[in-house]
Amino acid sequence: MTLAFGTPREKKRLSLAPMIDVVFLLLVFFMLASQFGRDQVVPLAMGGAGSAYQGPPRLVLVTAEGLRLNGVPVEAATLADQLTALTRKTSDAIILQPDASASLQQLMDAAGLLSGAGFTGLVVME
Amino acid sequence: MNFSTPKKRQAGEPILPMINVVFLLLIFFLLSSQIAPRAPFAVTPPELERGEPPTPGAVLFMAADGQLHFSGAEGGDALAAVAAQAAELEVLTLRADAGVPAREVAALISRLRDAGIKAVSLTGTGS
Repeated sequence: MTLAFGTPREKKRLSLAPMIDVVFLLLVFFMLASQFGRDQVVPLAMGGAGSAYQGPPRLVLVTAEGLRLNGVPVEAATLADQLTALTRKTSDAIILQPDASASLQQLMDAAGLLSGAGFTGLVVME
Repeated sequence: MNFSTPKKRQAGEPILPMINVVFLLLIFFLLSSQIAPRAPFAVTPPELERGEPPTPGAVLFMAADGQLHFSGAEGGDALAAVAAQAAELEVLTLRADAGVPAREVAALISRLRDAGIKAVSLTGTGS
């Protein structure tokens, strides 16, 4: 005669369903809360009080037809190089002036170009 | 002969710990998250290839028709609200629509400068 004391008790496993519920909840939360097409910014210096303008003129005119550096039409690709020659350090003020025909996208392109080239003293003037 | 205890009926999924965890998550996100300010109108910023990550904080919105919005205030009130906070603001993020003429944005930045804003960041969307 054999005595059977029942099958050995199974180890209690972590129940899967609540875990999946929580994971889905997190998923939905982050899907709703996260931003797509992430924003980026170009910091602008305010100029004016405090820091006096130094060095040769650096006026970048933004027009619908293109950029002008101190009145001379200039290719976007060579703008940064030309400005490097006109600045002593990258924090020197560079004045960006949009004319009536320029769109914000064109101003943004110019600001992004100069900011990407390392210039930090971008001042937007009317 | 079988001395084993009768098998217990399978208990349902424990609902209480699950609710605890969910509430914990809820409270965690409520405390840790910062709700991004939103404008009552649609703003599509211009594209920007390379920029810096945005700084959290005050945002001044500008719609394509030049309408302003700053933390609940519209138009001229928005500028007044910005001016009132100018001393505390380290940097003001300007989120203008791509349809705004660049000259209007430049004029707005001039007015912000006069209002005592120390730094302005212009927002664009990355690709």
